[in-house]
Amino acid sequence: MIVRLLSGVAKRLLAAVVVMVGAATLAFGALHLIPGDQVSILLGPNSAASPEVRAQIRSDYGFDRPLVVQYAQYLSNVVRGRLGESYQQNQPVSALIGGQVWPTLQLAAAALGLALVIAAVSAVATAGRRPAWRSLASAWELVAVSTPAFWTGLLLLTAFSFQLHVFPVAGAQDLRSLVLPALALALSLAGVLGQVLREGLETALRQPFATTARARGLSQLAVTTRHAFRHAAVPLLTLAGWLTGTLVGGVVAVETVFGRPGIGALILLAVSTKDMPVVMGIVLLCGLIFVVTSLLVDLLAVVVDPRLRAEAVAV
Amino acid sequence: MRFTRTRHRLLLLVVVALTAFAACGSSGGGSTAGQASGRPVSGGSLTFATDTEPINFDIHVSPQDVTALIQRNVFDSLVYQDSKGAFHPWLAESWETAPDLRSYTFHLRTGVRFSDGTAFDAEAVKLNFEHVVAKTTKSQFAASLLGPYTGTEVIDPTTVKVSFSQPFAPFLQAASTAYLGFYSPKALAENAGKLSAGGPVDVGTGPFLFSSYTKGQSVVLTRNPAYAWAPKGAGHSGPAYLDRLTIRFLRENSVRVGALNSGQIDVAGSLPPANVKAVEANRSLQVLRRDASGGNYNIYPNTTRGPLTDERVRKALQQGINIDQNVRTVYFGQYKRAWSPVGALTPSYNPALVGTWPYDAAKANRLLDEAGWTGRDAGGYRTKDGKRLSLRWPIVPSLVREQRDILGQAIQEDLHKIGVEIVRPSLDAGTYIDAIYSGDYDLLDLSWARFEPDVLRLAFHSKSTAANGGQNASYFNDPDVDRWTVTGEGTFDTSVRNDVYAKTQQRVIERAAVIPVYTPSYIVGAASYVRDLTFDTNAWPRFYDVWRDKK
Repeated sequence: MIVRLLSGVAKRLLAAVVVMVGAATLAFGALHLIPGDQVSILLGPNSAASPEVRAQIRSDYGFDRPLVVQYAQYLSNVVRGRLGESYQQNQPVSALIGGQVWPTLQLAAAALGLALVIAAVSAVATAGRRPAWRSLASAWELVAVSTPAFWTGLLLLTAFSFQLHVFPVAGAQDLRSLVLPALALALSLAGVLGQVLREGLETALRQPFATTARARGLSQLAVTTRHAFRHAAVPLLTLAGWLTGTLVGGVVAVETVFGRPGIGALILLAVSTKDMPVVMGIVLLCGLIFVVTSLLVDLLAVVVDPRLRAEAVAV
Repeated sequence: MRFTRTRHRLLLLVVVALTAFAACGSSGGGSTAGQASGRPVSGGSLTFATDTEPINFDIHVSPQDVTALIQRNVFDSLVYQDSKGAFHPWLAESWETAPDLRSYTFHLRTGVRFSDGTAFDAEAVKLNFEHVVAKTTKSQFAASLLGPYTGTEVIDPTTVKVSFSQPFAPFLQAASTAYLGFYSPKALAENAGKLSAGGPVDVGTGPFLFSSYTKGQSVVLTRNPAYAWAPKGAGHSGPAYLDRLTIRFLRENSVRVGALNSGQIDVAGSLPPANVKAVEANRSLQVLRRDASGGNYNIYPNTTRGPLTDERVRKALQQGINIDQNVRTVYFGQYKRAWSPVGALTPSYNPALVGTWPYDAAKANRLLDEAGWTGRDAGGYRTKDGKRLSLRWPIVPSLVREQRDILGQAIQEDLHKIGVEIVRPSLDAGTYIDAIYSGDYDLLDLSWARFEPDVLRLAFHSKSTAANGGQNASYFNDPDVDRWTVTGEGTFDTSVRNDVYAKTQQRVIERAAVIPVYTPSYIVGAASYVRDLTFDTNAWPRFYDVWRDKK
């Protein structure tokens, strides 16, 4: 039994390592697939750098060595936690990411929490209710899903910051400045999650156990929250985990609109200046976030759904 | 998803209505401060929002405008150039130029201290220039400002001699820029690797101290109370008026404008031309501006390739574009159309060129006929020997600024009318740079701001091609222009410079080596209580003299 459990864990870890190596290799491949001379790219057009400076940069970054050597060097550096130094900012990539990751995590966590709450309220309140309520709820969810976060952000800013002066326009100085960006990011997430949750709830409510529960005299709300919710929660969790991995894209836009510090500002700067060491570092970070959240989701699913426990051990 | 098209449209309508309402409601009343300037008062803080964030704060490394704009407040230079172009003493009290322009001797001001207490002296000048040219610094711009630099000699603690391997007249202008500002020798010794990251390690002698930097958010500068060495020519002497200057990074235009309208920031940089009218109409705000000097936004025809080797075809392009109307429409009348390759505020600008090559489609057609492009194909384009008159003008979407892509479409349309096809392949930056180096284009667009007519040498001297680190995108080769621009580079004599640069501007227009389009303008929106905000020669706002009127 314990051996099985351990081998299950080992398999997971191995898969995680494979994902990370894959991400690192893709990032490295991308760096070398970009057309053009690497030194010219990192200096940008209109650069007045002298040939000596160019040669210095070439040897500093090892562009003059064979590709295989560069790849091996890169992988061994990554394993030792060395992500290299930014071309443009002359600082270690790990320090750059480390310095920026906290505001982004705050924002992502706040957005995800908010999205889950909004989705749960909207779905529980309307699942299996009158069609008018349902279509109203699913209509707003569709609107929320199809509106890009930066646009929602601009609307929120216009209303609550420029007009009503309730929240500051930008920054990350206090909790108040977190509200609008978190909401902008949360709304589209909540839209997706709400749809899936309602679907799950309604499927569960049609099951015989729901009829049984109702026959025991439980109210509709109690049936929904106590019995159906657990059933619907597993797909919700899986989706939330997957969305967390894709959250980075939304974070870039929202952080830019709100002038918030974070990984978003870093990504934008790195991509627009072709600062490949930083881009590669961020790709690895995203890979890591993905791996960690999938692990967490798998664990939580086991907690929520007792049926999965036996299977988990059997894996 | 089950969602019909009509519902989508409805949603869009609602959203548009919402924003339109929001946009209308903003201009508040507020007291009009009037333009009568009172006595400056000290105190208070100011928030300035800019659309770009420095990638690298090291003035000796970064080529970015915004780095110099911010760091100008923290670092002083040897000499000061006023908005008319005259040089004044700053950290150097006086200077002598060797007759052959191969060396400059500066007599330094005494009593100047860096904010960490270190004294500013000849040794500090030497250490800084050595830091600029050191290979390990990997300077992307400052080193090129030092040009043919050979070394700095400390003659005594207050006298320093900077030498060059050949005559180098542009040095004084270069020495006045923030890129050749001075770090404390202590900072250079202890924190050379950390200067790029900004923050308190960036120690200078300037009117403000670099207190903190939060990436993606803001830079905070605080007043240097010991400052007593303002340049002659500045608005006042002594410490700056503002206690604190915060620079926020708000990339999104609508957010920057919204923040200004709602009073959350005091000054918004890079005001989009579309918003200027609305800000002007708001009585609690003011609009300030200065046109850029140096190279305008110009289109350079490649004179060594295909149809454009024929001067008549180049001339036809020059007069076949309705520049007046295009620039007015795209920039809401806020940017001026250009008649010369350099901006009107550039020293030695040639005003005689204004109006000399107006839009004339008939003439353009005639020139193309003369050049032998007389056939027409199914697309309405001209042909010669069965070949279409088609020109390649690459574009890099990620580098497009100031709606130049839209301006490009208008130009494309104008040229279509005279039978010229413009193909605009979208390239990524890497491929684009390769194309620049190999000359694989017919047209290329560039702007290159600098308060110095020497940009004409960079842009048109036959040796100044991209491969040599120059900007001659036309691959123009004219022995007269070579001689004139080298003469201008090697002299301080204003009448000689005016003469050779005027002739250069006229020649490159006559031979259609360039199609000047517009002069960019740095437009700032500010609350009306912000006083004495001026611009330097680069058209960047200067904060040393700024003060807040009441409030």
